Amino acid sequence: MAINVKVLARPVEDVSYVRATLKGMALTFRHLVDPHKVTVQYPEQRDELSPRWRGTHRMLTTEDGKAKCVACGLCPTVCPANCIKLVPGEDEQGNRYPLVFEIDEFRCIFCGYCQEVCPEEAIHVGRHYENSEYSREGFVYDLERLVSQTHAVCEMWDPTDPRGE
Amino acid sequence: MTDRKMITLTIEGRQVQVPEGTSMLEAARSAGVLIPHYCYHPGLPVAGVCRMCLVEVEKAPKLAPACATAVADGQVIHVHSDKAREARTGVLEMLLINHPLDCPICDQSGECELQDYTYAEGRKSSRYREAKRFNPVEDFGGDVLYVPNRCILCTRCVRFMDDVAHDPVLNVSERGDRAVIGKFEDQDLTHPWAGNVVDLCPVGALLSKDFLNKARSWDLDRAASICPNCSQGCNATLETRDNVVVRIRPRPNDEVNRYFLCDEGRLDYRWLNRRDRIEYPHVRRDHALAPVEWEIAVDAAAVALRGRQAFVLASPGLSNETLFLLARIRDRTGGRGAFRVRQGAEAPLPGVPDLALRADRAANGRGAELLGFSRSETPLEGLRNGDVLIVADEELAGIDPASVATAVARAASIIVVGTTLPAWASGAAVVLPVANMAEEDGTFTNLRGRVQRYLQAKQAPGLVRPAWSALGDLLTALGESALYFLPSDVFAALAAAVPAFAGLDYDRLGLVGVPVAGDGAATAAAGALVGAAP
Repeated sequence: MAINVKVLARPVEDVSYVRATLKGMALTFRHLVDPHKVTVQYPEQRDELSPRWRGTHRMLTTEDGKAKCVACGLCPTVCPANCIKLVPGEDEQGNRYPLVFEIDEFRCIFCGYCQEVCPEEAIHVGRHYENSEYSREGFVYDLERLVSQTHAVCEMWDPTDPRGE
Repeated sequence: MTDRKMITLTIEGRQVQVPEGTSMLEAARSAGVLIPHYCYHPGLPVAGVCRMCLVEVEKAPKLAPACATAVADGQVIHVHSDKAREARTGVLEMLLINHPLDCPICDQSGECELQDYTYAEGRKSSRYREAKRFNPVEDFGGDVLYVPNRCILCTRCVRFMDDVAHDPVLNVSERGDRAVIGKFEDQDLTHPWAGNVVDLCPVGALLSKDFLNKARSWDLDRAASICPNCSQGCNATLETRDNVVVRIRPRPNDEVNRYFLCDEGRLDYRWLNRRDRIEYPHVRRDHALAPVEWEIAVDAAAVALRGRQAFVLASPGLSNETLFLLARIRDRTGGRGAFRVRQGAEAPLPGVPDLALRADRAANGRGAELLGFSRSETPLEGLRNGDVLIVADEELAGIDPASVATAVARAASIIVVGTTLPAWASGAAVVLPVANMAEEDGTFTNLRGRVQRYLQAKQAPGLVRPAWSALGDLLTALGESALYFLPSDVFAALAAAVPAFAGLDYDRLGLVGVPVAGDGAATAAAGALVGAAP
């Protein structure tokens, strides 16, 4: 039993593919000649990050290469995600320094409070987004890892517009 | 006290009545007003050197130091008036001239009075541009480290050593802005109570070497407790971090230790953190101890006790509640009990009457005596052939284990109720693991018969239970009615059964304790306010 399909009579100029194809190809050719580009040729090309970008952490060091951290305990206190582990100790000169300093970057919410609270300007969130690792454990950054990283760090505010206006 | 004339005055708009001769600062405290202060401490003589407690008194020409001025009738005192506040801001600015900005590495940070008052009423920024004074850190001997840069010269430490410890070792050396706390030549802070200067110091100038860089004060959990290290029963606060006791500090109690705690008491806390604990109940199966459920172990202990007399070797460091339940097991089986107290040198604090590090280095020897345990240097002598030996948290440290083992061999079987399993008791039939004093609530009776509560400070490991709970189950298994859900239930049963403890309960004990009946006529007002921290 045949299904009664009702075929509407439409004008040819309305249903023809020619018009639609031409319309589409016009757009394609316009993009071909127009220099307006959105695609970034990563990794050869990289976007500029905002000076306030908050990425994975970095620990700054003194001139002699030691971490600036004095293990005051403010960053684990202020951290809302509870991702910083700190055990204070003493070095050979009797200075207070962190025996253990670990940041779990998976747990981190990149709020930047740790950088803001740090009285020694030691811990910083970084202007950095390339964070692949081979294991989950690799995302727990220890002090050595935090010190050895070299990427730029967050400015916390835009130096050209410090009030955020 | 009662015959003293009462004086009425107004502090910050609040009327207070205090006895004649009270200082303004104490009067304000009774009105609930804190007058900021550094050099004043209720346990020390008044010095009046820090000028922080200046208050405005109506109709007086100048600001008055509240710590050193006695109140007068009808006085109107303003603590937070503009004039008084300006004076304090000025004092703080002067103190901060030479105080380093090293709060991040200072151990006092978070519990520092200079930090607190500077946040509250200090200047927002410094006007001082010159270089700060610098002096190197000095080792004061004992447990004390002196950081002169942080010192504000309140002289609390000097007055403590002079007037309370009666061992004048400290002084104020040099003058003017060069002044520092100094030690007399060839003398060290070796007095057995010298560690108190660390608590007395309002800033981070005097530090405990033991606690140095260990933890930040805001990370610590605190529990009201009793120092478990001698029979004096000093009130203390156990401070823990991540379930580890890291510090013991004194808790004020005018009837026992005032504001002080001896060095031995404050440094001997590591045994509360022992790692060689037994964590699971064990029973002997095929010549070896096997871990089992609590019910099985308790039933095995009840079977071992059936038809035999118990000999209870109790530790004098157990709570009254635990000792009471042990005494009930002892009496039910017609057995005996003994305990041994480790001895040490007695070290009094001369400035406070009846306060000393006692020769009995255990907290509850008195409680054990009151509950009918006999005190002996060789407690196992009373063990007779065929008795069941109940070892209650006693390791008999310092006695030759081999000789103990031969004495123990007389026992028909051994039940260990303890935190650890001593080598000489390794042949035990049943092992019931129990909490140590930091892991349970309970009471101790000090050598003057004062019953004082302590609260749980940390979690017990494994399947460990408080001893009162485990022994309550054992008594039930032996056929007695001993259904206890809380340590206060056990204490209520203790108060009902033992005349010395009659009428006492946890509510009456409060956190300052009450003497047992027939002991010391001076009964402290129950639930009296603990002296606020200075």
